[in-house]
Formats: sequence, structure tokens, C-alpha cells
Amino acid sequence: MAHEEQVIKPLFAKGPSLGIRLLVFAVLSAVLMVVDARFETLKPMRSQMGLVLTPFYWLADVPVRVWDGATQQISSRSELMAENEKLKAEALLLQRRLQKLAALTEQNVRLRELLNSAALVDEEVLVGELIGVDPNPYTHRILIDKGEKDGVFLGQPVLDARGLMGQVVEIMPYTSRVLLLTDNTHSIPVQVNRNGLRAIAVGTGNPERLELRHVADTADIKEGDLLVSSGMGQRFPAGYPVATVKEVIHDSGQPFAIVRAVPTAALNRSRYLLLVFSDRRTPEQRANDSAEAQEAADREAEQARNGEQVPAQSDASAEDAPAQEAN
Amino acid sequence: MAGVLPRNGWVIWLSLALGLLLSVSPLPEFMQIGRPLWVALILTYWVLALPHRVGMTTAWILGLAQDVLFGTLLGQNALILTLITFLVLSLHQRLRMFPMWQQSMVLMVVFGLAQLVQLWLNALTGSRPPTLAFVLPALVSALLWPWICAILRGLHLRLNVN
Repeated sequence: MAHEEQVIKPLFAKGPSLGIRLLVFAVLSAVLMVVDARFETLKPMRSQMGLVLTPFYWLADVPVRVWDGATQQISSRSELMAENEKLKAEALLLQRRLQKLAALTEQNVRLRELLNSAALVDEEVLVGELIGVDPNPYTHRILIDKGEKDGVFLGQPVLDARGLMGQVVEIMPYTSRVLLLTDNTHSIPVQVNRNGLRAIAVGTGNPERLELRHVADTADIKEGDLLVSSGMGQRFPAGYPVATVKEVIHDSGQPFAIVRAVPTAALNRSRYLLLVFSDRRTPEQRANDSAEAQEAADREAEQARNGEQVPAQSDASAEDAPAQEAN
Repeated sequence: MAGVLPRNGWVIWLSLALGLLLSVSPLPEFMQIGRPLWVALILTYWVLALPHRVGMTTAWILGLAQDVLFGTLLGQNALILTLITFLVLSLHQRLRMFPMWQQSMVLMVVFGLAQLVQLWLNALTGSRPPTLAFVLPALVSALLWPWICAILRGLHLRLNVN
């Protein structure tokens, strides 16, 4: 009897009624959702909770790691030698391209100097590893093992060996979440590498497809064109490969051509990726800095020229300098 | 709650943590679309078995954990899980009497409703999945219910969780 009382009593001993409790929790959830969507106040709390909860992703990934480790242990000597052979060949090919690159970079710098434009800055990168994939099949987001403590910032571009993958949308202390190019809430400004035609590549929710929006029917774009990031949105650095055009459909019933492209990065296969630290200055600052650098360079050149001329004819150069300043 | 001492409560939390783990474990592409609602299933069992221990507060906190884990808006999954718990609690007296297949049918409706709310909330935040595929997880979960129920009941009775 005592046992029965123990089990049954709590079933009927209730505090506020169910409906009221649901209402309270529903309102609480709604308020949280609105605050989380519109304001920044919950971000720190969220990242702290993320610190506690991300080990779940790590744990869920353990079988994959174990499998990888096991296959590495078991893979035979001949397989390893074949792989080694292949990698050597690949390294050779890449080195050949690198030899050319040095000359091309030099040429590019000289041409840019001629054009008086700011020097191209080589970006720094940090290597990250994929630790989790968003369980919702309709969103394309991944979790990586670098976070706030490694200097990752919101909106940071992420690459793999073949091209742009996406950008960081949420940072936690030791991990961060990356939104991939193909998520249907993501768009990236691109240009055709062949002729510089600009367009916006929008994610479709299909990991193998991007679509170019509002491309005129007569635009010069064709199958096989490489699309590179144009750097227009001030978010992604310019010049990284994004996608290759797969098909261009001209439908006279449509106002624009339908252009489909395949991302060059292996969005759903890459395990290692690169976080790019490009210039974090605003465009105005950047323009200012480059103008100042240009002025400094001009002044130096001026001084050097004056210095050469000084021993020959000191009066002329002294007269010359104010005149040039006035110019 | 007087007179009922919590016993082996860690089993409940461990099973729920396992549910969270399963809900983020990697799956092949074609199976992802029908990923069972592990947390909801396990939570439903404990709500049915021990309504004085596991209730809407637990569901809400668990939902917040899911939100952080999935990167959705804070409160979205909390709302969903609270709703499921509410429905289960209000059907509680009848559900416990039902045979297993009937329980599965009722739970399919409950999870389907929850998925519908999830779809609306997703539509509000802009990532809207294609139509009707969203009921697939509810169906898979309902099919899994008898097994989950059997496993958890075994655990429940063997460890005498209260």
C-alpha cells in the first residue's frame, strides 16, 4: 500500500496546471528567440554554453576518427607507396606552377605600381579541422575546431585546398560554426575569371550547386568558366576560386539567363580547411592607408632625386621643390 | 513529491545525453532527412514513466541545450520539446493504457505536430525545407518507439530508477 501511494500520489499532485506551464514556457521561448535574433545580449551566454556542449560533437565524431586510424594502421605497404608516389608527382606539378608564380607575382607587383594601385597583400591563414556537421539536412553548416581563442572572428572567410567554402557565422571559445556557400541563405559576389563579369552566386541548398542571379541573357558567360570571388562585399578576399559554370540556359520566356555552377571546394568532403586572416580595416581606412603609403613613397623618391641633384646644382633644386609642392 | 526519494536519477540524464549525442552523430546523406528525434523519444519515455521527475522544465532546459548544439535560435527547440512534453503529459493517463502500436500512432501525430511547428519557426528564420519531407523524422521516430521503450524500460526496471 505504501509503495502504491509512493507511485500514484505524485501523478495527481500538481502545481500550476499544464496549460499555464506550457504558456509560461512558450512565452519564455518566444522572448528568447526574438532577443537572440535581434540583439547581441545572449551571444556570450550562448558561447559559454557552447563550450560545455561541443564535446558532444567531438564524441559523435569518435567512430569516424577510430575508423580512419584503423584504416591507416591496416593499409598495406604497397598502398602507402602508391600514395607516396602520387603525392610526389603532385608536389612536382605544384612546384612547377610555383616557379612560374614567383615571376608572375613580380610582374603583377610592377604592373600594379605602374597603375598606382595598392599592393596586393598576401593573406595569413590558420588551418582548422572539421569536427561536426549540422544535423539538419536543410542547412549547410559545419563546426570547426578553431574558435575565439585562436582569433577567429565573425564573417571570417574559410577555404579548402580548392576554393572558398564559406564564412564563420558563430564563434564559441574553442570552436566555431561555418556557413557553407551552398546554404540557401548564403550569397557571394563573384566574377568570371575570363572577362571580369560580375554576378552574385546564391546557394541553393544542394551541396553541388550554386546559381548566378540576374545575369543578362546576352552576358558573356559560358560553360566551364571559372568564377572567382570579386571581393565586392568586403567580406571575402578577391581572387579565390568559388565555382565553375556547369550550364547556361537561355530561355526566351525568362528575363535573365539561368546559370548553374558547381563549387570548386569539396564542400561536403574536406576535413581540413583554412581560415583566412585578410585585412580587417574598413574600405575607407584601407584607401587612406594606401594613399598615405603612396605619398610617403613619392616623398622618398623626391628626396632621393633631390639628393642626387644637390651636388650638381643646388639652387635649381631648391627652387624646384616649392614649385612641385604647389603642383 | 513527498515520500518519493529520487533514485538513480543519473540514468535519466545519461540517456538524455545519449539522445543529444545521437542527434548530432554523423549519418549518410540519404538517411539524414529521416533522422529520428532521439531526444524527443527518450524524453517521452521518461515523461510517461516518471512524470513527477521529468516534466516541462527538464524538456525546456534540454531544448536550450539542443539549440546551442544545433546553432538554431535560442528557444526554438526548447519550445518544440516543451510542446511535445505538454501533449504527452495531457495524454498521459490514456497513453499508458494503450498497446504499443497505438502508442506509436499517437506519438507519430504528436511528433508530426512538433515537426510542423519546427517548420514554421524555420520558415520565420529563412531556411525553409521542401514540403512534406519534414514529417519523415516523425514517422521514423514512431517506428522506433517500441524498441526505445523496451530498452529504456529494461534499464528503468533493472536499475530501479525513480
